[in-house]
Amino acid sequence: MSAMDYSKLKNRSSWPFETIGVAVAFSPRLENILSEAKILSRQFNASLILMHVGERTRNKEHKLSDLMQKVGLDEKTVRVVWNEGEPVQTLLYLCKLNVVDLLILGAMRKENVLQYYMGTLARKISRKAKCSVLLLTEPSIGGSKFKKVVVNIAESPKTIHTLDTAIYLAKQVCSKEIIAASETHQPGLAMTMADDNTVSEVSRIRKDIKEQAHDKLNELLLACQGGEGIDISEKQVAGKPGYAIRAFATSKKADLLVINSPDVKYGIIDRIFTHGMEYILEDLPCNLLIVHSRIQA
Amino acid sequence: MPFKLGHQDLIILLLAISTMLILSRIVAELGKRFKLPVVMGELLVGIALGPTILGTLYPEAYDYLFPLATNPKVGYALDGIFSLSVIMLLFVAGMEVDLPLVLRQGKTAIYTGLGGMILPFFTGFAVAWWLPDVFGLHPEGQARLIFALFLGTALSISALPVIARILMDMNLFKTNIGMIIIASAMFNDLLGWLIFSFILSLGGNGASEMGIGTTIAWIIAFGAFMLFVGRRIINRVLPWVQNKLSWPGGVLAMSLGLCLVCAAFTESINIHAILGAFIAGIAIGDSVHLREQAREIIHQFVTNFFAPLFFVSIGLKVNFVENFDLVTVSVILVLAFVGKVVGASIGARIGGLNRNAALAVGFGLNARGAMEIILGTLAYNAGIIGKPIFVALVIMALVTSLTSGPLMRRFVKDNGEIKPSPDLR
Repeated sequence: MSAMDYSKLKNRSSWPFETIGVAVAFSPRLENILSEAKILSRQFNASLILMHVGERTRNKEHKLSDLMQKVGLDEKTVRVVWNEGEPVQTLLYLCKLNVVDLLILGAMRKENVLQYYMGTLARKISRKAKCSVLLLTEPSIGGSKFKKVVVNIAESPKTIHTLDTAIYLAKQVCSKEIIAASETHQPGLAMTMADDNTVSEVSRIRKDIKEQAHDKLNELLLACQGGEGIDISEKQVAGKPGYAIRAFATSKKADLLVINSPDVKYGIIDRIFTHGMEYILEDLPCNLLIVHSRIQA
Repeated sequence: MPFKLGHQDLIILLLAISTMLILSRIVAELGKRFKLPVVMGELLVGIALGPTILGTLYPEAYDYLFPLATNPKVGYALDGIFSLSVIMLLFVAGMEVDLPLVLRQGKTAIYTGLGGMILPFFTGFAVAWWLPDVFGLHPEGQARLIFALFLGTALSISALPVIARILMDMNLFKTNIGMIIIASAMFNDLLGWLIFSFILSLGGNGASEMGIGTTIAWIIAFGAFMLFVGRRIINRVLPWVQNKLSWPGGVLAMSLGLCLVCAAFTESINIHAILGAFIAGIAIGDSVHLREQAREIIHQFVTNFFAPLFFVSIGLKVNFVENFDLVTVSVILVLAFVGKVVGASIGARIGGLNRNAALAVGFGLNARGAMEIILGTLAYNAGIIGKPIFVALVIMALVTSLTSGPLMRRFVKDNGEIKPSPDLR
């Protein structure tokens, strides 16, 4: 793959989604994914690119053409890109080349242990993509509903962009509710509290931690753009980052969980000592949007 | 005649324990008013009740209450309690090692942790290896190697409980710097206790029976089993234990039981029991299913029952006045400060922090506290070090813990922000 001009990507806002890419894997769920892509591209008024990494054969061309017709995708306006190579790297390359703002992938909710540690295409792309990624756990012909959206409010400069993107998405897909949830986890707190604190001191420490988190969340909500007209509630969830938000999204029966893209490159060691986004990828609670804000954390 | 505690022995044992618990709590509460660490109060009580003060002024009272040498039954019973205490302390120390946090903090924490270990380890090792005369010692062969390895490890360890407390007092607990310090301290603790377990097995008969290679292989195999397989099993079992069994009895029995089983296992393969307890603590503490309340209950139980007994017992065993050696104390203090502060600061700088932030991290990690004292006690019990070095390590632990906060303040504002440094990146 030749050197590319990334100037179009630099400082590009994480929203609006002007170009939506779809990874075409010819799986049994392809028809559903294409249907979802069609609906989303209309809702976001975005152009659509279908990308397949693998050999281009007559059979595949016919199959894709048939499916596109079936779901109502116009072959004249939808670009289809065929490319051979290592699937993950090639797909990432194609996304950059075509300035894709949102990549749509189908993903199993949970994978078996071997698949999880080896990493499937969807999970690998989620860890490495330089654009936002939407993992659809149960793509359907009628399109997924995103009525209840949970946004993970992490302590990161990326979060404001993630929240803005979530609000933009919620407006476009007519969501009813956004829950901005921050995770409170303080390593060493139990040890410190056990040392020499009175009951009132313990209560004060706990209260301070809660209030600090609440203030930060409020600051963020005030700073975000276009929140008017949408019901945004806030919530603090206790537990390890990644796991706590996953459990919260599950308990709330959320339709979509929105998180920041990872700050560091995730590898096998991060799956062994699971943390952060890996807890979510390990067992997807619902559809997942990973927002890549294209800024360095 | 069966070897069991008699009526009078039991009375003495119970009186000894209650005296240690009550007095250490009173002194700790008084110390709190002056912002002194709890462990300092506990050590002072031990010194007051031990041969240093009570044994010198009122030897009959000391011999009656703590007949460690004169009444073997009470001595064994107390020794059993102290051994259990150190196992429990290592278990809760392990519970706070959050490996994912170290990974989340990325290269800054790793570099800081490595810097904070490598330099103090090698300075300590070098001085002990080439200049053992400084400490009035002339070890030869394996004893020399073990002593050098021990001093290196003793200087490179950090004390997470003291550090966490200092960070909380300075409003740094939730900041990026605070997280880097916590993650680096965890990293130090993890490596430090692994190395120390190996040294202890070298010091005892274990390694000579098994061979160094086998000892290392056992340590790695046990750690790998607990962290890969054990953690998965715990994650499956813990939710059931917490939801279906009595609360908090179920989780307490399971956690402490697992800790003791693992401690027994490592002891049985001639690696010290502390390693089993420490690794069991990591495996349980890492579980996302462990409720915060359960974690606090375990901490409270250990910190307020076993910790005072252990730290008071230190003063009972050693005469701090007789064994105080100014040269040894000074050398260990200088090595401790220079190695840790410079090493951790260099690591933090390489990890991307500016000068003041790196120095704040260096001084933060310099607190050795209770962990150093535990390490010193175990080495003293194993015969790796003598009383003067043990006393020097205890003093170093206290001095570094007391000075860590004030020295960090030079680089941190009251609101928890780092003061600007000239070369702010």
